Amino acid sequence: MADKMLLNVSPHLHKKNETISRAMRDVLIALTPAAIWAMVVFGFNVVLIIAVSCATAALTEFVMRKILRRKVTLGDYSAMVTGVLFAFLLPPTTPLWVVAIGAFIAIAVFKELFGGLGKNIFNPAITARLLLWITPLAIYTTKFVRPFYWRDSGFFTPIATSISNGVTTFKTLAGNVSADVVVHATPLSLLKSGRWGVSAVTGPTPVGATWTTSSGRPSLGSLFLGLKSGSIGEISVLLLLLGGLYLIWRGTIDWRIPTAIIGSFLVLNLIAWNQPFYNLFSGGLFLGAFFMATDWVTSPVTRRGKWIYGIGIGVTIFLIRFVYIWPEGVAVSIFIWNILTLAIDRYIAVPKFGEVGTTVFNKLPVLPGPAPQPAKKEA
Amino acid sequence: MSGKTAYKTFKGGIHPPYNKELARESAITPCPVPAEVLIPLTQHIGAPNEPLVAAGDRVEVGQKIGGSEAFVSAPVHSSVAGTVKGIKEITGFTGAKVKVVAITPDAEQPDFAKQPGKDVDSYSDEEVRAIAREAGLVGMGGAAFPTHVKLAPPKDKPVDMVIINACECEPFLTCDHRLMLERPTDLVHGLKLLLKAVGARKGIIGVEANKMDAVEAVRAAAQGETDITVEILDVKYPEGAEKMLIFALTRRKVPPGKLPSEVGCVVQNVGTAVALYEAASWGKPLYERVITVSGPGIKEPGNLLVRIGTPMSALIDACGGLQGEPGKVIMGGPMTGWAQPDTATPVVKGTSGVLAFTADLIDVADEHECVRCGKCIDACPMFLQPNFIVQAVKKELWDKAEMWGAMDCFECGCCSFTCPAYIPHVTYVREAKADIAALKKR
Repeated sequence: MADKMLLNVSPHLHKKNETISRAMRDVLIALTPAAIWAMVVFGFNVVLIIAVSCATAALTEFVMRKILRRKVTLGDYSAMVTGVLFAFLLPPTTPLWVVAIGAFIAIAVFKELFGGLGKNIFNPAITARLLLWITPLAIYTTKFVRPFYWRDSGFFTPIATSISNGVTTFKTLAGNVSADVVVHATPLSLLKSGRWGVSAVTGPTPVGATWTTSSGRPSLGSLFLGLKSGSIGEISVLLLLLGGLYLIWRGTIDWRIPTAIIGSFLVLNLIAWNQPFYNLFSGGLFLGAFFMATDWVTSPVTRRGKWIYGIGIGVTIFLIRFVYIWPEGVAVSIFIWNILTLAIDRYIAVPKFGEVGTTVFNKLPVLPGPAPQPAKKEA
Repeated sequence: MSGKTAYKTFKGGIHPPYNKELARESAITPCPVPAEVLIPLTQHIGAPNEPLVAAGDRVEVGQKIGGSEAFVSAPVHSSVAGTVKGIKEITGFTGAKVKVVAITPDAEQPDFAKQPGKDVDSYSDEEVRAIAREAGLVGMGGAAFPTHVKLAPPKDKPVDMVIINACECEPFLTCDHRLMLERPTDLVHGLKLLLKAVGARKGIIGVEANKMDAVEAVRAAAQGETDITVEILDVKYPEGAEKMLIFALTRRKVPPGKLPSEVGCVVQNVGTAVALYEAASWGKPLYERVITVSGPGIKEPGNLLVRIGTPMSALIDACGGLQGEPGKVIMGGPMTGWAQPDTATPVVKGTSGVLAFTADLIDVADEHECVRCGKCIDACPMFLQPNFIVQAVKKELWDKAEMWGAMDCFECGCCSFTCPAYIPHVTYVREAKADIAALKKR
């Protein structure tokens, strides 16, 4: 009997279904409505991009873990989540080989070379996207199209782009040039260039939204429901919000981070009166707030750390969008605060229960000599 | 558990599956006397006892068989009438070697001869402490700290409140619940003795909201006692941890590394209070206690009145034996108890439960790298940062481990319970505690 009994230290209970794979599955479930909506809006190309991204991510993780002699943990779905999130950050006409390169970089470099799930200090999907943004590959990832453009070319005729001499060519997979598709500005880029006026509709860069107001702006409803141009995953604020609330309800993500990001961003925009609700609903703010910034591994672990991190991201997005004329504001902000996460965790103190006096900062570490050896333990 | 309850509680903590219904309805029944009892000589935190008997001696029920002159210690009494077989060393429930007195009980066990003591109201504080000490009382919630030491707080820290810990927040356990249902008057008398011993004016019995029948029973028993109140607490683990309980009831915070007397409180377990009453009014030392035998691996879960030193197997047999594929046998509650290699381990004064888990219930997985979800920090009732303690221990950075709070951890296990990466934080914290203490000694 003795050999059958399991001997381990308390506690002898574990929370049911509290596993990494359960959490990752939850994220995939939460992302599904937005993915389906993206397929409806942007056509079959979206299916291919997500599929290629996930397949590359999973394969890369498998190969990398084999090479690095780590246990293969595809079963925890974390590679899938990275794959889907990375696809969500791309414009719907991204060529598939660019998708594959990006997904490979995300997993191989920003996840596995840092030590795998739990050790990476950057969100792999975001970092890979930012890398694509600053490399020559960026020209293939910055072309946005208007919603339902596939009505002209057909749902199952996906579109690849190629660019030479500044002229974008859209082709179906069969190689036929599809002239009907035109590059469309996202609401955010319109906001950026100050082209809210009527000229936006008639000018060289048309508004990529289904509904516009009489003054030529994309209507708020268009932005909220996702009838606008933009990256695959960021279009429908409503579905992202529902997915995020599902994750909060399941206890997978912490409500503090999205609340802090959206709250601080909205407040600053209200103060500056910088098109507050257009700014809120355009771009990847909700995708970033609910699915990127809340990444367990790269966000602070303490409650007050999460507030600092969330407000920090909100303020940074505001600064980038309001002061600088930069796209990718959400991604850059999250990237910056990923770096600061380590400092927040290390230096922002949490008073223990009953500790007298409020400490804000942890004591600075005493630079150690050789680590003291513990006395030999008695068996 | 659902919705907003106005019951008192603390911040942090977890909601494990309680499974109290397994043994809640079963009344306390005496456990049969086994063929041999093994009574550990030291069953408390503090100085070890010396044996007072030798092989071949006759002992009576309640006879003192181990004692020490040290202040922080509690004597040990024989739980049976019989013959001492000898003093030997066995592996105790914590895995450490302990000295035990092996006694062969007589076939006929006489009832304990109740010596009518004084009326409980007429004892002085000094006398109550002496009784607690002589009866070998220790905290019966699990920590087994000698009761008379708790009842003698430092002179400069006046105690104004005695709290009876009736939360029983550990899943499966129901022994305190049954005691409150079956002997509420004794509990109230015990609390009055405790109040007297520390000179406090206010006694609170804190019960979790999942034992409303016990609340009613104790309230009825405390009718007319102006200085005793029964408070209902939220159902949450670890509501019964001393510091959490004090905070929930009084909003007083015991500082890290300090005792409850720092904020004028003394906390005692239900079983201890009842045992104090028994000792004061009948002269009965602590040689038996109520133990819950439960878990899915037990055929007929129940609550037994068990003589100290009875092997766990006798308790399990008294409850119909094991069923299903055996997976784990635990002494104590599932959150803080100790897994046992076999069922020969004798029960002690601090044992509140004997649990058997079937193999399919055991939820263990390989330890994954920490994914920094922060759930352990949210769950920690002491607001420590368990994930950083683990990291520090892995790197043997003991000063860091201390900074993140290793020494303030009371090993409730909330962090491990809620960890999606299945990191056994408590194991690491124990290692940190041992090594930090060893370093400080040098």
